[in-house]
Amino acid sequence: MNAANTRKIPKKKSQAYEIWRRFKKNKTAMAALIVLSLIILSTLCADFIWDYQKDACSINIKNRLQHPSWEHPLGTDELGRDMLCRLVYGARASLTVGILGTSFALLVGGTLGAIGGYYGGKLDNLIMRCTDVLLAIPGLLLCIAIMSAFKSNVFYISLSLGISYISKFTRIVRSSILSVRDQEYVEAARAIGASDFSIITKHVLMNCMAPIFVQYALAIGSRILSVSTLSYIGMGIQAPTPDWGNMLSGARAFIRGNTYLVMGPGVALLLTISSFNLIGDGLRDAMDPRLKK
Amino acid sequence: MSNDMNKTNDVMLDIKNLVVEFKTEDETVQAINGIDLKINKGKTHGLVGETGAGKTTTALSILNLVPFPAEKPTAGTIELDGVHLYKTNEKGECVPALTEKDYQSIRGEKVAMIFQDPMTALNPIFTVGDQIAESVRLHQNVDQAKAMERAREMLELVGIPAKRADDYPHQFSGGMKQRVVIAMALACNPSLLIADEPTTALDVTIQAQVLEMMRGLRDKFGTSVLMITHDLGIIAEMCDEVSVMYAGRIVEYGNLEDIFDNTRHPYTQGLFNSLPNIEDRKAELKPIRGLMPNPADLPKGCAFCPRCDYAMEICKTVRPERKWLSETHCVECHLYDDGKDVSKL
Repeated sequence: MNAANTRKIPKKKSQAYEIWRRFKKNKTAMAALIVLSLIILSTLCADFIWDYQKDACSINIKNRLQHPSWEHPLGTDELGRDMLCRLVYGARASLTVGILGTSFALLVGGTLGAIGGYYGGKLDNLIMRCTDVLLAIPGLLLCIAIMSAFKSNVFYISLSLGISYISKFTRIVRSSILSVRDQEYVEAARAIGASDFSIITKHVLMNCMAPIFVQYALAIGSRILSVSTLSYIGMGIQAPTPDWGNMLSGARAFIRGNTYLVMGPGVALLLTISSFNLIGDGLRDAMDPRLKK
Repeated sequence: MSNDMNKTNDVMLDIKNLVVEFKTEDETVQAINGIDLKINKGKTHGLVGETGAGKTTTALSILNLVPFPAEKPTAGTIELDGVHLYKTNEKGECVPALTEKDYQSIRGEKVAMIFQDPMTALNPIFTVGDQIAESVRLHQNVDQAKAMERAREMLELVGIPAKRADDYPHQFSGGMKQRVVIAMALACNPSLLIADEPTTALDVTIQAQVLEMMRGLRDKFGTSVLMITHDLGIIAEMCDEVSVMYAGRIVEYGNLEDIFDNTRHPYTQGLFNSLPNIEDRKAELKPIRGLMPNPADLPKGCAFCPRCDYAMEICKTVRPERKWLSETHCVECHLYDDGKDVSKL
């Protein structure tokens, strides 16, 4: 037996583990992940602390516009509801819509982009011209148009936010695929008899994951901002369901005397969106095997 | 009759009158203009020629992977181990004879290809083991663990320790990557291996190792090989028969002896003259003058005519016919037309 055979073979680490190992080294991304986890955790645990109907939705005029105190850490709003409670429940709506909307956009836009980029030719042209049309309509205006046609519930809000983002994903996925599809390993995959579907999903798309992931994370942030905007102008999530946008909208009238009312939702939006952005950046660095140390 | 039977059974690849044209809006690029090529089982056939002669297009035609805008040969037939890969339809056009699914099952399983540049032929985000296993899983009904087992076996076979199957391509050197590519190609025991300039991207010492290994594996598995190269040294090392390709035509064909000792075509002679002579260090290199003609605008007669030292009037206007000089040796050149004095060559 020679030395090479007796040496211990290191256990194979999965790719996800490797990505996680590299992600961990990025301190800002980790901080963002922790902040985001806390936000998600708090909104999941909210039911143990508060009663949704009683604390977040029902009016309690006696308590209106209380400044922050031990009882109400972020004060109360103009209808006497606890701001912290509403903030935590508001995260639920914002995050759900943000993630659902972005996923919808990724699914549709990504598929179209992948098909267009890989096959090229007339099909690509058709898809890209449709994308251009969609891109020519201002996103928020499109959302408002769709929202006024449908009911304001979480599903339709996600759908409208998703549709207005499809073109971004189509373009990003298509351009990433264009840069990969003529690589020799794609031809090599064809030469070992792989089908178009498996080439697109495995060899081509997997090599484009980094920009798509970054865009996905950034898009969630942007969608959360958009849903807040929609709610702020009254087209999004409807009262009494708490949402950061309609909380800001309600607080607008009291901004001089009760500044704390805008601080809560504002800071929450800031933290959530920048967390998503930083996580996106961290993922991009972590997913590139060439940076492996 | 029985002789005929034997013949079909022995032939691994039979290309007849293959034509590939790339038509664009303003020109037609004639990449391949009617070549015939036959490889017997277990034999190695060398395809030699300069850049742009149509060598790679020939290889891709066998796999039905001719790139856009041609996507398929314009004319001709290709027969692989008795199976027709292309047929001619009523309009006289060449069309694929099999479904895309059938081609997918042929690629990798019956015909495997080794690519020129190992640096780019491997997907950077999968481990080399995964990539070899993919080829196995596509063609054999086995689970991932079995396929990985086979991948490790293949790596050992090409001289890479099996435990490196979990490493990524960037952790390998160029020569090792080419071994991985070869392992990938051989994983399903293909009956025909197309090696498209397998050593061009490697340095000389690694070239020798890789060639030595390929020769060993070829003899072990009895694989037929189509060796595409522009290096006559590799041809001399590896091949049984040689086709010299120029501007989409095979200008000279023969066994090693025919080509190396009885060189007939002026182009083949030019190729040999461009090699440095190790015995006579003072001898001057005689490169072939000029460049290959634009394949979108080939000369009317012999394509080599503008660069040929022996060009005659007839060469400018009439395309030379194939001339058999012996049973194994043929050439396309007017110098060997009947009654011509060939002794001066």
